[in-house]
Amino acid sequence: MGSAANTTVAWLFALIFSFPLIWTFFTALKPANEVFAAHLSFIGSKVLWSNFADAWTEVNFGRLLLNSLLVAVISTVLTLIVATLTAFAFARLKFPGRSAVFLLFIITLTLPSEVAVVPLFLGFDQAGLADTWVALILPGLFGAFGAFLLRQFMLQIPAELEDAARLDGASTWRILISVIVPLVRPALSVLAIFAFLGSWNSFLWPLIILSSSDKWTIPIGIAGFTTQTGTQWQLLMAACVMTIAPVVIVVAFAQRQLVAAIGAGAFGGR
Amino acid sequence: MKSVRLDRAEEASSNGAVPPVDPSKGRARRRPLGGPRWVGWTFVLPGLIGLAVFIVIPQVASLILGFSNSTLLGGTQFTGTENFIRLLRDPQFLNSVLVTAIFVLVYVPANIAISMAMALWLKTRIAGRNWLRVIFLIPALSPMVANAAVFRLLFQKDGVVNQMPAGVGLGPIPWLSDGNWALAVVIGVSIWQSFGYNMIVLGAGIDSISPEVIAASRIDGAGRFRRFFSITLPLVSPALFFTTVLTVIGAWQTFAQAYVITGGGPGNSTMTIMLYLYQTAFTNDQLGYASAIATVLFVIIAIFTMFQLWGQRKWVHYD
Repeated sequence: MGSAANTTVAWLFALIFSFPLIWTFFTALKPANEVFAAHLSFIGSKVLWSNFADAWTEVNFGRLLLNSLLVAVISTVLTLIVATLTAFAFARLKFPGRSAVFLLFIITLTLPSEVAVVPLFLGFDQAGLADTWVALILPGLFGAFGAFLLRQFMLQIPAELEDAARLDGASTWRILISVIVPLVRPALSVLAIFAFLGSWNSFLWPLIILSSSDKWTIPIGIAGFTTQTGTQWQLLMAACVMTIAPVVIVVAFAQRQLVAAIGAGAFGGR
Repeated sequence: MKSVRLDRAEEASSNGAVPPVDPSKGRARRRPLGGPRWVGWTFVLPGLIGLAVFIVIPQVASLILGFSNSTLLGGTQFTGTENFIRLLRDPQFLNSVLVTAIFVLVYVPANIAISMAMALWLKTRIAGRNWLRVIFLIPALSPMVANAAVFRLLFQKDGVVNQMPAGVGLGPIPWLSDGNWALAVVIGVSIWQSFGYNMIVLGAGIDSISPEVIAASRIDGAGRFRRFFSITLPLVSPALFFTTVLTVIGAWQTFAQAYVITGGGPGNSTMTIMLYLYQTAFTNDQLGYASAIATVLFVIIAIFTMFQLWGQRKWVHYD
């Protein structure tokens, strides 16, 4: 097959693959009574950009968006801090019991985490933290993948850099912050994207731990709006567009780094 | 391997430039970073405590709670193996195991086959293939709930899928009101959503095959299929194995798709184990019984993972 024909077929396939998202976008612009029109049509009798504004109020999307953003930013920052400290200890420090702790981290990678949501919920409930963002955020911060990704990068830093800083009288903390962290910045930004998306997409745990709707994140809001009767599909699709669009932008801008990180197997499958 | 090499490099660089080794430890290795021996613990401790409290302890607690009749309102009493005996006779639970097993058996092979085919296809001469990669990756990195809401709309009885020209004459298919079709939709959205991720993992595996090997097999006259089965497949087998193990683990825990698109229905036909666990625990407040379900799911996943670890010797080539 010549490359022109091959290219055409591949892009045609991508178009079919993207059809659900394209249809979502056009549905988000339709009048309510034309979502299920008798004939197949992308554009309704009117193009209602106001659906996006209506979703903001009807689905309470503004609040959901703010909550999701706040939770994702806090989660990302804390994940980066924890993973950096752990990775630094594993990659650059020797301490008694290091290999045992490292083995424990590796074992947890194979644990099916979602299976343990019941005790996690009970624990937070006993602590009086059910229906709080503390309980929402905490369990997601300690996955071992981030530490392993950063460790791989830290292992590649030559020891001479550390030794030089040490001779200048720098403490271990100083070396981490002034020598190591600047050198692993690319890995940190990839980890930040994955931590952000992990929080942005998270569904089961928020569904369990959050009961007040003013604390909900976007997936909980969308799920609630989808499963209720008499769904206003055009508003729901507008909300979906506004939920997926940030992901599209992030993936488009960071594609090279994301593809490299996923290819390295850093974050496991789904 | 890398850490071993690094240790040697550290030793080599310590010649003269750094304070002498601590002889009391009896090792010909300088004290790392010259700091106290225990300083590493202060760095690893936050992560370690978090891992213990939020990942390890809940797993253990889940196994223990499975032997109790714990509820949120009524407290916890240990009831021995009662839950597990009840599970064996619980038609809803047995159904959920069957539904999830069908899901795994269809979804995993389809996902892996499509990921592999797409990874190979995107190695051929296609203009803009980096952008194609991005397009296929987007659903994998977007919220499953949003993707599922989209599919719920597409597969409504008077939705766009039933209006497709190809369907004319067949009449509308009751996608979400017929059990078999509903499960097919849930499996379909899962494949659509996630193959882009595995495609990239496998693509990286294919990239790591040296061009010389491929060129040599061409010279030897190996055809396209021969080349795939004798060269590409064995060399990409570690990535394939890694991908399969993680995809299987994820598939057994399927939840959001079923929750949003069908709510487990119609008539429990899409009730996955995780969805049944969720309803048992948080709709019916049977936390102990739900933990027993979690234990069974844990064991199923462990068996599947160990079976694959055992089986890999026969087909995975590391070198």
